[in-house]
Amino acid sequence: MDNDEGDMNSALMVDGNAVAGQLEQIFGRDMTMTVARCAGCARDAEMGALLAFIRGPGVVLRCPACQNAIARIVETPTAIYLEARGAAYLRMVPQE
Amino acid sequence: MQPVLEWQAGTVTAIRPETKQTKSFTFALPKWMAHRPGQHYDVRLTAPDGYRTERSYSIASPPERVGELDLTVELIPDGEVSPYLHDVLMLGDQLELRGPIGGYFVWDVAIGGPLLLVGGGSGVVPLMAMLRHRAAQHATLPARLLCSSRTADDVIYRDELDGLARGDPAFEVFYTFTREPPAGWTGYRRRIDGAMLGEVIKPFGKRARVYVCGPTLLVEAVANALVQMELPIEQIRTERFGPTGA
Repeated sequence: MDNDEGDMNSALMVDGNAVAGQLEQIFGRDMTMTVARCAGCARDAEMGALLAFIRGPGVVLRCPACQNAIARIVETPTAIYLEARGAAYLRMVPQE
Repeated sequence: MQPVLEWQAGTVTAIRPETKQTKSFTFALPKWMAHRPGQHYDVRLTAPDGYRTERSYSIASPPERVGELDLTVELIPDGEVSPYLHDVLMLGDQLELRGPIGGYFVWDVAIGGPLLLVGGGSGVVPLMAMLRHRAAQHATLPARLLCSSRTADDVIYRDELDGLARGDPAFEVFYTFTREPPAGWTGYRRRIDGAMLGEVIKPFGKRARVYVCGPTLLVEAVANALVQMELPIEQIRTERFGPTGA
């Protein structure tokens, strides 16, 4: 499929899989199967299936149902900021 | 607990052109670990002034190949990382890699089938890892690949895919060409749509497990069509490449 249709913002969108390495660095485990509940519409989605906008200075993860911003991640030279007030919760299943 | 993800220096042991725009790079890794087909590695470049940039590339090789892995990379002419990989990186060079990464867009024979893979452009790369794994395991579960490319010259792994299909009655490959079909082509010659998906998925019906990887707009179109067919949403896994690949 060609890419010459749709607006620029949606064309630049990827998904949570694209930031799986960054998330794993922060949480110390794979997060793509972790379920995030949207604080806006209460829909559950695996973090790998969240809409991801990664071409800015930081990362924005959005709900695939209502586009609410679930989380934002910004890395500075000295720290990582993770803001996640768009998530009601994250559900992590213990790993072996 | 799984080990902490860390950067390691992979050594380039092979470089193979796949199409005009794609090359496969084989890396030997000191801390290789078996991946799940569909996972990716992050690649990090550091400039002399300390500027760093990272990209994710899907693993093309199966986990059965121990100690090394293949990444197939599409050249993005104005990209930051892929031109370096295509035009500068040489045999014996080292590159910083971390992985394997991801648990969502993964498939192995334990998950089972019937398996429908839908790839657009270089979106076929992680699907190839799944097919190579399936072949290495001598699995007989039914599998089909629907592969969308602009022209015949843009199909990655064409010879290998055709060979797999010839030697395995349970695997079929379908091509569609969106820009210029080869002369005499009688198959699909349009973007993937609901009618095409319906034909390819037909023998599997609603039992199909579907993996879709490609440009965002292709993934959206395919996922929406599958939902309209009332395929259970938990059987659909998608990976969006963005406009031009990672």
